[in-house]
Amino acid sequence: MVLLAAGGLSMSGLAPGFPIQLPDRVLEWAASGEDRIYTAENLFEYIDGGAELYLSYGLSSVFARTYTREGEPDITVDLFDMGSSENAFGAFSHSRETIDSTFGQGSQYTKGLLLFWKDRYYVSILASPETKASKAAVFALAREIESEIPREGPLPGILDFVPRDSLIEESIRYFHHYIWLNSHYFVSDENILHIDENTGAVLAKYGSGDKRWYLVVVEYPSDMEARLARTDFVIHYLPEMDIEPVAQIEDSTWTGCRGSGSILAVVFNAPARETAVGLLDQVEAIIESKETGGDNTEPR
Amino acid sequence: MVEMNKMDKMDKTDKTDKTDKTDKTDKTDKADRNGLDRNGLTRRDFLKATSTAAIAGALFMSDPRDVFGQVTEKKTRVVLVRDKDVLDSTGNVDANVLERMLDNAVTALLDEPDPANAWKRIVKPEDVVGIKTNQWGHLPTPKALENAIEKRVIGAGVSEKNISIRDQGVLDDEIFVKSTALINVRPMRTHHWSGVGSLIKNYIMFSRTPWGYHDDSCADLAKIWALPVCAGKTRLNILVVLTPLFHGIGPHHFNPEYTWLYGGLLVGVDPVAVDSTGVRILVAKRKEYFGEDRPLNPPPKSIYFADTRHHLGTADPAKIDLVKIGWEEGILI
Repeated sequence: MVLLAAGGLSMSGLAPGFPIQLPDRVLEWAASGEDRIYTAENLFEYIDGGAELYLSYGLSSVFARTYTREGEPDITVDLFDMGSSENAFGAFSHSRETIDSTFGQGSQYTKGLLLFWKDRYYVSILASPETKASKAAVFALAREIESEIPREGPLPGILDFVPRDSLIEESIRYFHHYIWLNSHYFVSDENILHIDENTGAVLAKYGSGDKRWYLVVVEYPSDMEARLARTDFVIHYLPEMDIEPVAQIEDSTWTGCRGSGSILAVVFNAPARETAVGLLDQVEAIIESKETGGDNTEPR
Repeated sequence: MVEMNKMDKMDKTDKTDKTDKTDKTDKTDKADRNGLDRNGLTRRDFLKATSTAAIAGALFMSDPRDVFGQVTEKKTRVVLVRDKDVLDSTGNVDANVLERMLDNAVTALLDEPDPANAWKRIVKPEDVVGIKTNQWGHLPTPKALENAIEKRVIGAGVSEKNISIRDQGVLDDEIFVKSTALINVRPMRTHHWSGVGSLIKNYIMFSRTPWGYHDDSCADLAKIWALPVCAGKTRLNILVVLTPLFHGIGPHHFNPEYTWLYGGLLVGVDPVAVDSTGVRILVAKRKEYFGEDRPLNPPPKSIYFADTRHHLGTADPAKIDLVKIGWEEGILI
């Protein structure tokens, strides 16, 4: 039984938009209660305070089911249809701490919580507190769901503009809302890089130990919008850019930006001038390579 | 009676916010989000205003005196009381230990040796008292703490029938609606959208349109505190940091991996000061756990703006008199 929470309707069989068949049982756990579907309009009812994250990634709907077994923690499955593989990756990347492809196109397991993404789906399977049996069931369920999703989906194209030298791969975040930039590296209370639902943005961290620097690459709908964003950023954050390609700021680190067509790249917190300029040069080289039909991106 | 200067000030100065009209207000704040409004702050503003980038970057609300508008002669007192035995081996709260912690905190806060007398300064027999708790499933306000507060309020002379303990539904609760005093108590945790679930955020149920405060990662949550149902009524704020959640992942934002036994209560009159202190503990824990600076995700703008924009209290550690009692190991602050 599926409860379509959006309209308060009940129906049998598969839920619209969810051609993913979940098993009725997994090991000793059995599906319990009514399945639920939430949409952008009522996700707040399900995820207390957490809906905005998924809405900012263009959530289409989420299917939720609970499995129970006496004496063991419930298993809650949330199957998010993010509308596109790019957005599914974005939601997954938001909290990724490790590189792990045990499930789907990328996964992460932490004490009872398994997260993975595949194609346009972002999947959460929670059984807390973790037991040996519940962990086995969570993994078995993940395998079933993974196999039900017939294909893999493409990563966001803008990830191609992220140079790989010294990159901390698991730090990559893809987003459409400036709040998520500030989540990982606070830049401004205001949206001075003009990041919104019409842009694709990626944040990547580089370096090691105490020396970490950040690259933000944003792709705008047009060259003009990229130029406007660069202008606003320079005026409000880096006025020194009027005369220098990069600038040393108050904490002695280096910041700089460079635009090319509809792409804007910004380096923050670089330990040396050469580091900042070098990273911007690498991004520019990738852009030029793509424009000339080559592919200067390194394999991911 | 406990001084209510901060609340009184807000009550008097923010008359325009006396109705729940969040959706319509602050157009000027939102109008120029694309960088034209220079009332906002950038990372560089913090770096210019502080001597160490590390403090500003991690807390980004810590010290810059020139951006913290209010200057008071007297520091705001916040009491941190800790006891390593507050949870038993199975993780259950020891009610006796917790009650003792509460007493120690309140007496230290008010410089009143006797807990019963301290509570008589917090509430009067004629008060109608709402104890605003929090029932988030993974990390609720401990029942033992609710009971301890209620016991002390009754001990101060308040009739049991004039006390209500509630989270959701406060606007439909007769006691809360006609309350003359509120006690705000909830656990500290990270939060998907507002950065932290904190004392300031705990009053969101005093609005029938809580989603109206979600804009800009809940930056203006402090507006709720000016709603008539709660404005100027708060007598005590208790932030539960027994097992705080310092990081959240997944749609339900909870994993025991990201909680730890801190065994504390943070208690004060000023909710902003208490929240700010709680944030510093979370930030320190995140740095310890991840081995690098990990700012809260998203930044807790609601606490910053509760000070600088809404003047509900102070978030500046330099203006907070932090009194520490009890267990010192792993205090982080």
